[in-house]
Amino acid sequence: MTAMDILPQLILNGIIAGAVYALMALGFNLIYGATKFFNLAHGILAAVGGYVVFFLFKSNGWNLYLSVIIAVLITGLVGYLIDKVIYSPLRKRKASNMILLVASLGIFTAIQAIIAILFTSQFQTLSTGAGDQNIYQIGTGIITQTQIIILISGLLIMAGLILLLKKTLLGKAIKAISDDEEVAKIVGIDTNKIIGYVFFIGSAIAGLAGILVGFDIGLEPTMGMGLLLKGVIASIIGGVGNIYGGVLGAFLLGFAENFGIWKISGEWKDAIAFGLLIIFLLFRPQGIFKK
Amino acid sequence: MEYLIHLAILFAIYAILGISLNLVVGYAGLLSVTQSAFYGIGAYVTAILLTQSGIGFFLSVILGIIITAVVSFLMGIVLSKFDDDYYALGSFGFNIIIFSIFLNWQDLTRGPLGIPGISRPVLFGFNFSQNAAFLVLALIVLAAIYFISKFIVNSSFGRVLKAIREDEKAIQVFGYNTFNYKMMIFVIAAAMAGVAGALFASYITFIDPSTFTLNESIFILVIIILGGLANLKGSILGALFLILLPEILRFVGFPTEIAAQMRQVVYGVILILLMLYRPQGLVGEYKL
Repeated sequence: MTAMDILPQLILNGIIAGAVYALMALGFNLIYGATKFFNLAHGILAAVGGYVVFFLFKSNGWNLYLSVIIAVLITGLVGYLIDKVIYSPLRKRKASNMILLVASLGIFTAIQAIIAILFTSQFQTLSTGAGDQNIYQIGTGIITQTQIIILISGLLIMAGLILLLKKTLLGKAIKAISDDEEVAKIVGIDTNKIIGYVFFIGSAIAGLAGILVGFDIGLEPTMGMGLLLKGVIASIIGGVGNIYGGVLGAFLLGFAENFGIWKISGEWKDAIAFGLLIIFLLFRPQGIFKK
Repeated sequence: MEYLIHLAILFAIYAILGISLNLVVGYAGLLSVTQSAFYGIGAYVTAILLTQSGIGFFLSVILGIIITAVVSFLMGIVLSKFDDDYYALGSFGFNIIIFSIFLNWQDLTRGPLGIPGISRPVLFGFNFSQNAAFLVLALIVLAAIYFISKFIVNSSFGRVLKAIREDEKAIQVFGYNTFNYKMMIFVIAAAMAGVAGALFASYITFIDPSTFTLNESIFILVIIILGGLANLKGSILGALFLILLPEILRFVGFPTEIAAQMRQVVYGVILILLMLYRPQGLVGEYKL
């Protein structure tokens, strides 16, 4: 294969990876914007979403769409409860960001292990049979039906979230809290309640990302860390707390990884992603778009 | 009895790792989550030298320490640009990069196959092939690390570190170059973790990348946060508790695979509960 033959596939892979990272970055940024701490537990919620679908759809034979909707809602609820039970009391006590970060690390570790106990550490896939999905050819590259769904749902969620933030009262309240929580409180916004909603929405989006990855690649309990870190890296590249920046960062990261492994072997994907993160932190810590 | 000795050796290794990380997180206030990378570099350099060269244990460990220190120095330069949660994130990144190197630089590390047949230490003609003898060696090293660390934190150098932790800007006003201080403690702590790695490699006689993951760094962080930040005895206590804990879980009678995961659940819950109710840990003198 010449370089020109492989190029369309690399671009497609970059876009698909970018769409998944963008979903992770959207939720992560939304939560970071409102709370200003690195919520590492965000990653494990992707795994929660994927495994709820696995349980309902594959183990119990429920309808696919119903399973996905319930899984997204459950993931949102888990995120909401984590905020109410753990983060919210810490916030009330004015705990430092580091305490919140370490607590989120604890949540991550505990839930990941619980998933492994319930579903084993084996690699499992959500799709019902390999080879039965439609494959489309674009130039010399191919894209599967699942991957097209990833792209479309990624774009829909982005559009939906932007509409929510721009057009609704809830969106304006979230924006007010992101700008300055104290001021938002003074003007009468129930910040704790709104932050709870933010956790619900952000976590639900992470759940959807996990479900899509489960259909495209597969599920393992450790999938959360990789997805989390890609979402975080995308957010930082784009400018943390800025949801448009996060989306741009996600696609940049998707391309960087896929073009990186064109010349270097595939195992170095994570190292490339983190190399990119450290370069950005060093030379442009505010990201592409400053908030 | 043999099993108790095994646990005691593991305890000594993790106590060293805990003390070393406490110097960075507890005394200098830098939330580093990359200690298992240095643990791994110490282990790999020692293992490679012991299996492929004839230079003996002592020189292998010294070279392991030097290489760990050099790598940590380079990492420290980059990390010195960050604060607080960004520092934590950057250190996360380095842990994953170093892990990738263990896993993927197969010509040197044999990748996932690991390095078997590492010899037990021979020092001054004495062979530590018996576990009881190895335990004595491990405890001597632990004592040495403890007293060196104690000396460091009680010295004027240690006081400057604590001042940096409390208010870096203020101490800069007094003319202290805080960069040098943070750098020095980071490199010293990495070198100590390298020693722990050398002990681990020559004790187990086999290493592979799976020991030196981000999870291991988190485990070391749990040790020091549980024991208490900025308290060296706390780290020893934390290591003791967390090494014994799985044994208690074993008595409950979980199957091995589930027991391993239960352990992770417990570590996670410990972190959450500590943050909620006792962020200074058991005997800590500093809260995050």
